[in-house]
Amino acid sequence: MAASPASSATETSPDNSAAPAVQIRHLNYFFGTGELRKQVLFDINLDLPRGQIVIMTGPSGSGKTTLLTLIGALRTVHAGSLQVLGQELMGLSSRKLVGVRRNIGFIFQAHNLFESLTAAQNVEMAVELQPQFHAKRTQATEILGQLGLDNRVDYKPESLSGGQKQRVAIARALVNQPPLILADEPTAALDKKSGRDVVTLMQKLAKEDNRTILMVTHDNRILDVADRIINLVDGYIESDETLDTFNTTHDPKNLDQQMFIL
Amino acid sequence: MSILGIKRTPLAWLNLTHDRRKFATSMAGVGFAVLLMFLFTGFKNALYDSQVQVINRLNADIVIINRLKNNMFVPEPFARRRLYQARAFDGVAATYPLYISDVRWKNPVTQQTRPVRVLAFNLADPVLPLPGVQANLAALKLPNTALIDTRARPEVGPRKAGVVTELADRQVRIVGTISLGTDFASGNGNLIMSDQNFLRYFADRGPEEDERSFATADIGLIKVEPGADVDRLVQQLSEFLPNDVKVMRRSGPGNSFEAQERDYWRESTNIAFVFSLLTVMSFFVGIILVYQILYTDVADHWSEYATLKAMGYSNRFLLGVVIQEAVILSVLGFIPGMLISRLLYTGASNAIGLVFLMTPERIVNLYLATFAMCLISGAIAVRKVQSTDPAEVFG
Repeated sequence: MAASPASSATETSPDNSAAPAVQIRHLNYFFGTGELRKQVLFDINLDLPRGQIVIMTGPSGSGKTTLLTLIGALRTVHAGSLQVLGQELMGLSSRKLVGVRRNIGFIFQAHNLFESLTAAQNVEMAVELQPQFHAKRTQATEILGQLGLDNRVDYKPESLSGGQKQRVAIARALVNQPPLILADEPTAALDKKSGRDVVTLMQKLAKEDNRTILMVTHDNRILDVADRIINLVDGYIESDETLDTFNTTHDPKNLDQQMFIL
Repeated sequence: MSILGIKRTPLAWLNLTHDRRKFATSMAGVGFAVLLMFLFTGFKNALYDSQVQVINRLNADIVIINRLKNNMFVPEPFARRRLYQARAFDGVAATYPLYISDVRWKNPVTQQTRPVRVLAFNLADPVLPLPGVQANLAALKLPNTALIDTRARPEVGPRKAGVVTELADRQVRIVGTISLGTDFASGNGNLIMSDQNFLRYFADRGPEEDERSFATADIGLIKVEPGADVDRLVQQLSEFLPNDVKVMRRSGPGNSFEAQERDYWRESTNIAFVFSLLTVMSFFVGIILVYQILYTDVADHWSEYATLKAMGYSNRFLLGVVIQEAVILSVLGFIPGMLISRLLYTGASNAIGLVFLMTPERIVNLYLATFAMCLISGAIAVRKVQSTDPAEVFG
């Protein structure tokens, strides 16, 4: 996999292609201070190799989003070790964290597109993070084309459907060819078909270019795209399995029986 | 930043103009603050500019006045022989006396008397080079005639040629008009007459009034020869002439008649302070208005801005966006504000005869104030963006 232009140019992290996309060792995380200090992540150990699609699931409040934002360099690491694309985030200044983020594609539950910008311009905003962006228009239209939005390039978000908006947001996340993509409930606001289309696209793009995708979701309909499923409960990694094992161990029938036994 | 002419997406501009109605409201808000500042500074400046408009029209480089005359309002004439003395100096081309007196004028329509100011001079001297004076020289030579200022206050009655009424209880005939404007020292307006007529009216007005003659003049005008050093001449005259008179430049900064007049009104009245205070208040109103506009933009695009931060945009970039919006607002709000102020200046000037000047310097100063206003608002609003936590966008 080629290093993305961003990583080779930013002063922070040379994209170490040999390193796993994410390597976490003994990560603990707390909210609040003093009396109100509450631990939300307990001794997380996790490796995400390149090219894997990983779905993280678990009940609300289990710390999924916190873990995702930590990996995304949106929060400061308190204790333990967190390496993203070969770069240790522990103890990194907030300015350097900004640099790390440029190698990560973010997809949110809400599309968060600027209403004042066209689809292409929204995508171009991401390209402009690169030191050279003279081909931004071409890059934007190309990726929008790959996501089936050829004829929506110059539409503003208000004239796009929910699925189309989410695809623009995905185009924005992917246009810089980030080696790591973090997605938070990308299908939550979409109907069944749009949601399916979106994840299939993500899967296709990931497989073609050896990207790593970490996706938080409650949406059982899209679990099948995952190479691996991590279940987070109360801040602990409860299970870390392939799709098939997950299906058997987390079969509602099995769970029900366990509950009765308890 | 751009390569091969490819520019960054103009996010600030697009965000600001996306909602046309909101954009128009924003511009109106800034324009309103600009208008207020223009009006209040306009009134303040009108006070000073009006006081010196007659002085600046006088055809002189240097003036001689009584040492006690610290403003146009004070009726202190000086000995006219000082002017003859001055004429002996090298570099003095000509000297002209100007006689001034305040007097009662009867409104021919309402029969009410109002004070006006009479400016009188030898018609052979080019004292006030106004078109109305040149055109009516012959008529002014007749006894009991005068010119009236068309910009005198309406209280004096019809301001046109042909009016016959009473001035200082004597009949006077208006033979023409000039355009001069009023000020606080001129009562309800200015009249112009010949020095001969001045004597007719003011030589003997009874025991309670000062007798006027050609022995004294109110303002002595000195015209210098081309190329003469005016400042040096002022100094020489001041040294040579007795201390009962004061010699100074007609206008300009420093030791000049114009500056003395401005200083007098600045130091002896609170009007300037009141209007300055109002201007400052408009400035703060503007800050609040612009802050509201920018803050709303930030609040409306909270998650989008946070997303930009998550993507890897720095705080400095977001700060730039908000500051750009502030600058755009300052320019686009200033233009309509200034144009409307211009109309109001013209209207006010026509209505009350004071001078409302919009000089390039004043426009630049007020633009700088508007710019500062928007920048301060931007700086406050930007703190909100900077506190945006990109982690909040998740979940």
